[in-house]
Amino acid sequence: MEVNKYTVKDLMVPISEYATVPIGTTLFGAILALEEAQENFDHGKYQHRAILVLDDKNKVVGRLSQLRVLNAMDAADNYSRYEQLKIFKFSDTHIEKVSEKDRLARKIFTEEALKKVAKKLVNEFMQKPNPDEYVAETSAIDMAIHKMAAGAHQSLLATRGDEIVGVLRLSDVFAATFHTLKELEVV
Amino acid sequence: MLEIEKIFKRIIQRVNINLRDLAFDVSPFVTGHIDLEQMNKFYAFYGITSDIPLDLKLIHSSLAGSYFLGKCRVTDSLLYKSDIRGDELKRKDSTFQYKNFNIDLTEDELIDIKTSALIKTLVHNYSHDPETPERFFIKNTLSLDYANIHGSPSDGCFLGPFATVDLTTMRDCVIGAYSFIQAGEINHLEVNPGTIWVNSPGQFNFLYQYPADKLQHYIQVTAGGYPQGLLIDFIEEHEESFNRVFDAANLENTIKVPETASLDRYAVVLPSTKICENVLVAQRAYLENSYLGRGSNAQENCFIINSHLQGCNVTAHGAKIVEADLQSNVFVGFNSFLYGKQGSRISIGTGSIVMPHTIIDCKESLSIPADTLLWGLITNQAELEMNSIQLDDLRKINTSTNQGNMHFEGHGASFVEAFRHRVNHILEANGAFFHEHNNNVKGHAQNNRKLSLNTIQPFLFGEMQGVYPDITILPQG
Repeated sequence: MEVNKYTVKDLMVPISEYATVPIGTTLFGAILALEEAQENFDHGKYQHRAILVLDDKNKVVGRLSQLRVLNAMDAADNYSRYEQLKIFKFSDTHIEKVSEKDRLARKIFTEEALKKVAKKLVNEFMQKPNPDEYVAETSAIDMAIHKMAAGAHQSLLATRGDEIVGVLRLSDVFAATFHTLKELEVV
Repeated sequence: MLEIEKIFKRIIQRVNINLRDLAFDVSPFVTGHIDLEQMNKFYAFYGITSDIPLDLKLIHSSLAGSYFLGKCRVTDSLLYKSDIRGDELKRKDSTFQYKNFNIDLTEDELIDIKTSALIKTLVHNYSHDPETPERFFIKNTLSLDYANIHGSPSDGCFLGPFATVDLTTMRDCVIGAYSFIQAGEINHLEVNPGTIWVNSPGQFNFLYQYPADKLQHYIQVTAGGYPQGLLIDFIEEHEESFNRVFDAANLENTIKVPETASLDRYAVVLPSTKICENVLVAQRAYLENSYLGRGSNAQENCFIINSHLQGCNVTAHGAKIVEADLQSNVFVGFNSFLYGKQGSRISIGTGSIVMPHTIIDCKESLSIPADTLLWGLITNQAELEMNSIQLDDLRKINTSTNQGNMHFEGHGASFVEAFRHRVNHILEANGAFFHEHNNNVKGHAQNNRKLSLNTIQPFLFGEMQGVYPDITILPQG
């Protein structure tokens, strides 16, 4: 039986409806942008969970997920330090030992700590997109599922030529898959 | 456009192409940094000695104020006041051991510089890359003031001022100012300024990172500007003395140098300095009112001022020792800056190791016990305690530790022994142990006495001004 052949374009959230902030925005500014985007977004029940960071030419240079924000709160001043330890080949055991020592030495949910982290810039915490996180908007959904599954990505950046035109979220791909399954009347 | 400008422009483009993945543009760091129209004012020179193969090929390059020793080839490059020292290159018919491989060499090793710009950079030692044992390549690379490329083949890299890469093959990397890397092999890595990383996989891993705001006082590079900071100011304060030794055709030795020691003709020695037996003083070293005990050495771009070095002290390339007293066998690593003051001197006990790129800048006297490892930025007693460890305590570490900005993981004993072995090798290579009871095995201190120097000149006028004619220099027969 023929199933609905979705393309990336059919399911993606256009970039204009997604939460974006310019590079150099504070973490608090990014969270406000996310809140605003969620209020204006009324397609489906799944809310945005990430913020895209744009350079001065409006090109996507990074992504800030909710988990990244929590990481920022948890690591406070030490986030980039742990990143450096990873780059310079220290073991996870050592990094965990250092972060545990840091955790014990400070509290996260205090007014002072939260204010401090709110002023930090997204540049410090954003994740640069990997080459396998892009998918052409004309691609079949199969390609997107493959990329999400292989790379364990929560979302993909949909492209038209060199331009990023949307975000394909795991929740939307899953919803489309679920919807199709239901149509198949699997017993 | 002058030919030298075309050469430089092409180098910048090549380096940028290699660094495109890191989105790093070298142009702002080098544009206007050197005055290409002045490059015709400096001669280049090369050493001749019967102990080191003479084989120079200089092709379509500018070499202003640079020095060459041994087998070197320079193509489509711009070298400014750089030292290309091939006296430790591997020789034909020798065997290079790498892990379990015994690699037989069928020809003398070559320093092969291509499409690169090296500014006030030292190139020394030999390729530790088993894939290219006979070719120490430096290709599509740009290095700034007082960088050291030490036993480190390089392709597509940028080294900021005072950066050192030691015994490491690097490809497509950015090494920030005042960083020291010794890691065997690195690829596509961007290293922040003031990163000190010594990694031997399976053995140990040492990392220290300078606080960025504090490092800026000593060295900072801003796009479009010349490197600035105390390190640059310190060198500039002493530059005039070097002009005298480079301008004069012949210079009389101002002090007595023992038969077994060597004082380079392009070193500055000011009263009242004493040089003992088996001491090596390399070119561009600066000595003033200091004592260099038996077997000590002052390598290129070193400054030793108002200081006493008891004996067998290694002062590695670019290290600076001011108002300090060093007992015997103290190792002061690359580009370290021991900046004592009158009335607040630094004293360091026997067998201590000052890690490369350490800064001790104190306003109080600091006394460092024997057998101590020191690193990072130390400006007072509290920072001394934070940034040092007794070697015996380090030997006991078998997992990992963290002190301030320093992280160490692995076997402390292996780390200490690796350093001890390296220091011993440096002393031996430099001739510190030359003695009739030691089979009279010579090192640089003895061999360099037989070194003579020739100068070569660039085109002075026209489109080719500042570029040298293609030259091949080979011994007769």
